[in-house]
Formats: sequence, structure tokens, C-alpha cells
Amino acid sequence: MNLNDILLLVILGAPLLTAVLLALWSARLGRAAGWIAAVSEAISLTAALALLPALYYNQAPMLSMAWIPTAGIEFNLQADWLTLPFLVTEAAVTLVAIIYGWGYHHVDERSGYFYALLLIFGVGMSGTTMADDMVLFYIFWELMLVASAALILIWGDGERRGPVTLKYFIFTHVGSLIVLVGLLALYDATGSDAFAVLRAGQWTLAPGVMTMVIVLFLIGFSVKMAVFPVHLWLPDAHTVAPMPVTIMLAAAMLSMGTYGILRFPFSIFTPAQMAPFAVPMMVMGIVSEIYGALMALAERDVKRIIAYSSVSQMGYIMFGLGTMTHDGVVGATLHVIYHAIVKALLFMVVGLLIRATDRRRIGELGGLGGRMPLVALCAVIGALGIAGMPPLGIFNSEWMIFSGGFSSGHIGLAVATLFGSLLTVVYALWFVGRIFFGARPEGLTVGKLPRTMVITTVAVMILLIIEGLLPAPLFIWAEHGLASILGGGL
Amino acid sequence: MTNGGVWVALPLVCLTGGAFALYLVARLFRASNTLLSTLATVVFGAALVLLLPLFARSRAAALHGTALPVLASITPAGAFLRADPGALVLVAIALGIGGSTALYSGRYIAIDPRYATYYPLLLLMVAGMMGMVMTTDLFNFYMFCELMSIAAYVLVAFRRHTDTAIEAGFKYLIMGSVGTIIMLMGIAFIYRETGQLTLPLSGAELGPWQRAGSACFVVGLGLKSAIVPLHTWLPDAYGRAPSSISAVLASVISKSTLYMLPRIYLGLGMPAHDLGLMLIWLAFLNMTLGNALALMQTNTKRLLAYSSIAQTGYIMFSLGIGLRYDVPDAIQAAFFLLLTHAVMKATAFLSKGVCHFYLGTTTVEELRGTAVQLPLVAVTFSLALGGLAGVPPLAGFVSKWFILAQALHPAEPLAYVGLIIFLLNSLLALGYYLPLIARLFTAPQSGDGRPPARVAVSPWMAAPLIVTAALIIAIGVSPGLWLTGVNWMAVFWQDM
Repeated sequence: MNLNDILLLVILGAPLLTAVLLALWSARLGRAAGWIAAVSEAISLTAALALLPALYYNQAPMLSMAWIPTAGIEFNLQADWLTLPFLVTEAAVTLVAIIYGWGYHHVDERSGYFYALLLIFGVGMSGTTMADDMVLFYIFWELMLVASAALILIWGDGERRGPVTLKYFIFTHVGSLIVLVGLLALYDATGSDAFAVLRAGQWTLAPGVMTMVIVLFLIGFSVKMAVFPVHLWLPDAHTVAPMPVTIMLAAAMLSMGTYGILRFPFSIFTPAQMAPFAVPMMVMGIVSEIYGALMALAERDVKRIIAYSSVSQMGYIMFGLGTMTHDGVVGATLHVIYHAIVKALLFMVVGLLIRATDRRRIGELGGLGGRMPLVALCAVIGALGIAGMPPLGIFNSEWMIFSGGFSSGHIGLAVATLFGSLLTVVYALWFVGRIFFGARPEGLTVGKLPRTMVITTVAVMILLIIEGLLPAPLFIWAEHGLASILGGGL
Repeated sequence: MTNGGVWVALPLVCLTGGAFALYLVARLFRASNTLLSTLATVVFGAALVLLLPLFARSRAAALHGTALPVLASITPAGAFLRADPGALVLVAIALGIGGSTALYSGRYIAIDPRYATYYPLLLLMVAGMMGMVMTTDLFNFYMFCELMSIAAYVLVAFRRHTDTAIEAGFKYLIMGSVGTIIMLMGIAFIYRETGQLTLPLSGAELGPWQRAGSACFVVGLGLKSAIVPLHTWLPDAYGRAPSSISAVLASVISKSTLYMLPRIYLGLGMPAHDLGLMLIWLAFLNMTLGNALALMQTNTKRLLAYSSIAQTGYIMFSLGIGLRYDVPDAIQAAFFLLLTHAVMKATAFLSKGVCHFYLGTTTVEELRGTAVQLPLVAVTFSLALGGLAGVPPLAGFVSKWFILAQALHPAEPLAYVGLIIFLLNSLLALGYYLPLIARLFTAPQSGDGRPPARVAVSPWMAAPLIVTAALIIAIGVSPGLWLTGVNWMAVFWQDM
């Protein structure tokens, strides 16, 4: 067992072990639970970053054990260039959410469980990206659903949290089951659940079955991405979830759908086999982009506005993937990372707003810029970021996505998505304008904000600016990660 | 005596002898409930210990292809009992769950006045089941099946001070007796035509009486296993019996008849394909009706009972795929679910029993806030329900994975349709499992605004719960050992 294997285990093991300890001593830990959780997630993030040198030296960190030999099921963990951007994003978002939670979460004897579940939610996501066999992939995939559903159910806002959790669980579980059938079809074809066997390509599928598998994967992962017709779970779940969970859902979990699409249909089928799905994916992306933006304009609840903005942003990613060109796919992958930062920032701002004013209807807010200038600055940067203002990160990824659209040959669709992006500017600026500028409504008081919440928000804002100014490392990661896919002729 | 002999019967003798001894102890010395509970657990444990060397020898015989250990009957033709490794696996599970239940009853039954009859009946019920799966002779099968069933009827009506228990027990008795009488008629038909009672029947031709007899067995065993539309006794029986009894009934008793159905049917020389087709179609009914009716239940135990009907459907589906399309792995997958379902459903019923014992809850709504008062039970209950719903990495998920993978294997339209129905049903099932889990963890509606105090669970109840709940995780995480056991259970199929 070399250093890389240990790092792989630490990424999952540190938060998992901490979660167990937090749950056991929940009543006694009190405030310390949040600190312990943050430390363990920081260890996990550091371990993920420590894999970088190994990847640069072309070592493939991989941990492989037999699990159920009679059924050809293995226990494999790995980290490659495709894993890394998602893994790091996910661990960083979890860390931010936990630290943000220090101020947000009211400490009581159940706090230990709260942080334990946040950690498990994070483990579910990092495990999904690191799994190198189907059973493990599906276990982690469902773990993130179970943990997040528990968090929404117990700590969600409002009376509707029970039904909302049920809707969230059933909706995304349908998606999981669709993915599961796709996985099982591949398992039946290869006789093993290891991805290595899949990649080796020594297996065949009947053409009809292959089309079915691709469709299943695309639909199943779209549910997690919350792209237009299957997005229905997202607004409710995001609105009801406690703020740290909302941050993790929007900034990290949605990207797991993208990871799934990159890992399964894109990696194992050839571009020629995928080609028939290009236009449907692009159209789905455009519809989602425009629909999400329009819904964001129509909404009055601040949290729901940002939630619908996710539907819109996932539309860009779907479009970028659908172009199946170098620029489009790299742009979509980068968009996942940039969107994670921007969306985390915007939800953190919304959390601060709700905490400070105890209001969440947009008509009841206004003119807050003078009273909370720092939050207003973060909001403005976030809104400009999501609108695609250079030099903030999303400009880079949207540029790539649009460029991919034009080079795919479907000029009409590319123009449509370009104009659709105007709507993003409209809702982003409208959102900031209505809340932070203009007249302040009667009786709007601004309470004191916990310092940790403000500091994390500002830190994420600074990260957004840095990422936008220095996009090169991320570009290189993404290009490395997509090399196997792009090398296939894209 | 080298291979078999009286040793084969030792576990069975241990159980039946234990039952009579226990009743004597209870009557002569006015023994307390806790003492009887301990003794019953010891008897179950002893039977399990006696089973192990038998299993080792029967496994060795099966591996080397030599004759299995048998206890010969008085008639020269057949074996009274045969130590078939697959049947022994099922028996071992039954003994484990029986032992856990006996321990659990050390506290659970203490409030009932007639505990002196409870433990002997529990032992006899499991003994009947044990004999039933070990015998190869149709008439002995009938006798053991009756022993098991009669003990079960009485235990369902054990709390006879409630009218509903009497009603449920009576309903179970009437329907169960119809089932056994139909089987007896089937035995007569078969004997009339072939003059044999020992399975597998020898002889080339399938006569009309033999076919009629086999049909009688399908109906009788179908009734005992609650195959729709012969399931109507089950919700009442499971819903009204003490939770500990529901746990044993749901997990092993009515599943053992399902295990016997293909064994006897194939042993009678009937074609496997027909049974497979019938099981697949009936499985759709079982899954859909079970889940749809479970969704409407407000009583927790009835809900779990209907979920059993649905789970029976899943097992039948996989069994049907295996028999219809000659996929041995699908039969293994079916028996794997049979084992995991036994552990999960037992945990669910035992957890429910603790809630009822301490908090007096019967409806789903009343479970609200159990996590505050009984945190341990909330955890075990949700592990069981999560497992039944197929949430990874719990035991239920692995079984679902195997069944789905095998359903894809034959590449037949009916199997694909079945796969879709299976998936839709597992979604439907989430509709009642999830709210149940959610209720456990939502804040209780307290009248005076103060949170209710935590209740200490008696170790008599906590210990079996922890063991079975740990098993749910263990099977899910490392199914290797269990798969080996299931492998043995599916072997019979290759002999026939």
C-alpha cells in the first residue's frame, strides 16, 4: 500500500470516521462538532489535492480488492484527471458549507448529527467520483441522496419539509433506478462490475440495447443535473433545505450528473455511437437554460430565484456536452466548477439576507446596499459572475461552450443559446437591483450577522475572482481529464 | 450410522423435546417468563449447534457427490429426514430468528398472562418448519406442515383477550386448513396414480392424477406463502399477532413454503418452465397489489404485512425467471432475497414491537418522534425499512441488484416487462417506506410543548435488535458468506 492508496482511503475515511464519532458523542460535543467536522473535511480536501503530483507523474492512484468474487463484483477506488476537478470542487464546497454552518446552525444536542450528515453527504459525492466499479458507484450515489434527504427532513425550513423530502427522494431515486438499469445492462454484458473491464472494451452490446443504455444514462443523470423536464424536484428541495445543505446541493451535487454523463456514455461509447444524441442534448440544454431563467424572473422567493438559476445553468452544461466538440465538453466541465463557486456565493448571500432581515419575498426587500455593503458587494460580484461578465470565471466557460456550439455545425442552436444567455443577465441584475438598491420598504430591519458566515462568503467571492483571473490550471486539469474522451475524435 | 442415522434428527428432537420440557418446567415450577425465555433461547442455540456438524457432513457429501445423510423411515422406500445443505441453510436462519425472538420475548411477553404456552408453541412452530423442509416424503411433509401451521394459528391468536386476535387467528386457521387439506387431497391423487410418496417420484409418464395432485400443491403452498389472490389471511394474521410472532411468521414460516413450492413441484416430475411462467405472472400481482395496498395502510403492522406480500412477489419473480428461462443464478438471487428479507422483516417487526411495548403506538402517525424517545429502535427500524426499500449498502440493495441483473440476462420480452414492473414497484414502495422513516425522525407533537423523555429499552429486546440490524449492514457490505449459503439452497434445482 503506497502513499496514493492511503490518500484515497483518507479522502473517504477521514470524514466517514469523524461522522461516526460525531454521531456517537452528539449530545456532549455542542459547538465543537462543527469545528471537528471542518477539520476532517479539510483533511479530506488536502488529501484530494495531494493526489495532484501523482497525476502529474502519470501514476494512476488505484485501490482494488475482490468483494464478491462469485458475482464478479469488486471494490475499486481510483482517482484520475476526470475525477480530480469534481472531487476537489465537491470537497471544497463541503468545507465551505460546514464553516458557513457554524453561524447558520443553531447548536443543540442534535448538532453532532447535523455535521455528521453533512460529512456523509460529502463522502457520498467524493465516493461517487472515486468509485471504479458499478456497485460502489451506485452505493455512493445513493448515499448522497439518503444523507441529503435526511438533512432536509430534519433541519428543513417550514411545515412542508416532509412532502418536499419525499418528492426529492422519489424524483431523484427514479433517476438513480434508471441509471441502475443502464449499469446492470453493462454488468450483464461484461460479467464484471469493474470499470476497468468496461474501459478495456472486450465486450459487445446489441445495437438496440446500446441505444437503450445511452438513453437511460442520459435521462438518469439529467434528473440529478435537474435539466428542464426532470428538474421538478430542485426548486422545492433547494428552498426547504437548510442553507449549508442548499449550498452543497446546488454547488456540488448537481455536478454529479455531469460527472455521470462524462464517465458513462461519453467515456465508454464512441463519438459515432453518441452522435445521434447530440442535437437532443443541445435542444434540452437550450430549453432548460431559457426556462430556468424565465422562472427565475417570475419567482418572488429569493431562494427559489437562485434555485431556478441552477436549472438554467445546468442547461448550459447540457448544451456544452451535447455539442460533443472539444471546446464544448471542456467548457461544460469548467462550467461545473465555476458554477459551483458562483452558486455557493449566491446562496451564501441569500442565507445572509434571510438571516439579517428574516424576510425572503423579493417585494419585501430593497435598498439594503447601504446597510450591508459587504454582502451587497458579494451579491454584485456573484450576479455579475453568473451573468458571464469577464474576467469572472463563468465568462471563460461560457465562451468555450458557445464556441463549441458554433464549431459543432449547428449554428442555429448556438445562436439560440447565445441569446438565451441574455436572460441570465436580466434576472441576475434584477435580483441584485431589487434587493440592494432602490427604496427600502417600511419596517425592514437588519439584524447582526454571525462573523463566520460573512467571512466565508467573502472568501468564496475572492476565490471567484482569482479563479476568473487565473483559469489556466483548471483548463489544464479539465483537458487532461477529458483527454480520453476528446482523444476519441471529438 | 456412518452416514446419517439418528444424528440427522437431533436438531429436530432438540426442538420438540425442548418444547415439551419447557412446558413441564413452566407448569411444575411456575417458572418466570425470563427463565422460560432464556431456556427457549438455549434450546434454539443448542439446535443450531447440533445443526452445524450435520451441515458440515451434508456439505461434504454434496461436494463429493455421495449420498446425503438420511434418517430412514419405517417404510423401506423413502427417507424420513434428509440433511440437504440448502434446507439446512434455511433452517439455520429460522433457528437464528427463532432464538432472537425467544430472547426478545423475555421482556415483550412478560405482560401477557399465558407465557407458559408461548415458548413451547414457538419451538414447535420452528420444529414443524424444520421437518417440513428436511423431509423428502410427501406424507411427512404434510404432518410437519400441519405441526407448523397449528402452532402458528394458536400463536396468532395468542392475545386472546382482544377480539381482533381471535378473529385473525380463526381466519388464518380456516384458510390455512383449506390449504393443507387441498395438499392432502393432492397427496391422495398422487398416491393413487403412482403408489409413491417419496420425492423425487420415479417413473416416466405424467398421469392426469399426478398433474391434478401437483396443482393441489401449487394451490396449497401458494395459500401458505400468501401468493395473490390467496393472500387474504396474511394482513390480519401478521397485523394481529404479537410482533415477535409476526417477525417469525413473516421472515421464515411463510417463506419456507415458498421455498418448498418449486422443490415439490419439480420433485413431482412437473416441467419447470410452466411453473416459472405462472410464478412470473403471479409475481406481478403480488408486487403490485402488495405495494398498492401497503400505501393505503395506517396501521404499521398491516403495512409491514402488505410489504411482505410485495416482497414475496419479488422473490417469486426471480424464481420464475430462473425456472422459465433456465437461469440458475436467478434462483440464487431469489433465495438471497428470501434470506435478506427474513432478516430485514424480522428487524422491522421486532422494532415495531418495542415501539408498541413502550409507547403504545399502533398507527403510522403515532410513530412520530420515536427517535427522541427510543433512538436505538428508530435506527434499527429505519435500517430495516431502508433495507426493504433497497437502499445501498444495506442487504436489500444487494438482493435487488442480483435480481435485476438476472432479469436482464435471458433477453426475453417478458423478463424486460417484468423488470420495468419490478422497478415501478420499488418506487411505489418508497411511497410508504420513506414516510414511515420520516415519521420516526420528525419532532413529536407534544401537548405541553416539552420534548418527551427518553425511554430505556430493556436489554432483552435491545440485544436481538442490535444483532439483526447489524446483520442487515453486514450482509449488505459483505454478502460473500450468504451467497455461499444461497448457492446451496439453489442446488436442488440441478438435481431435478
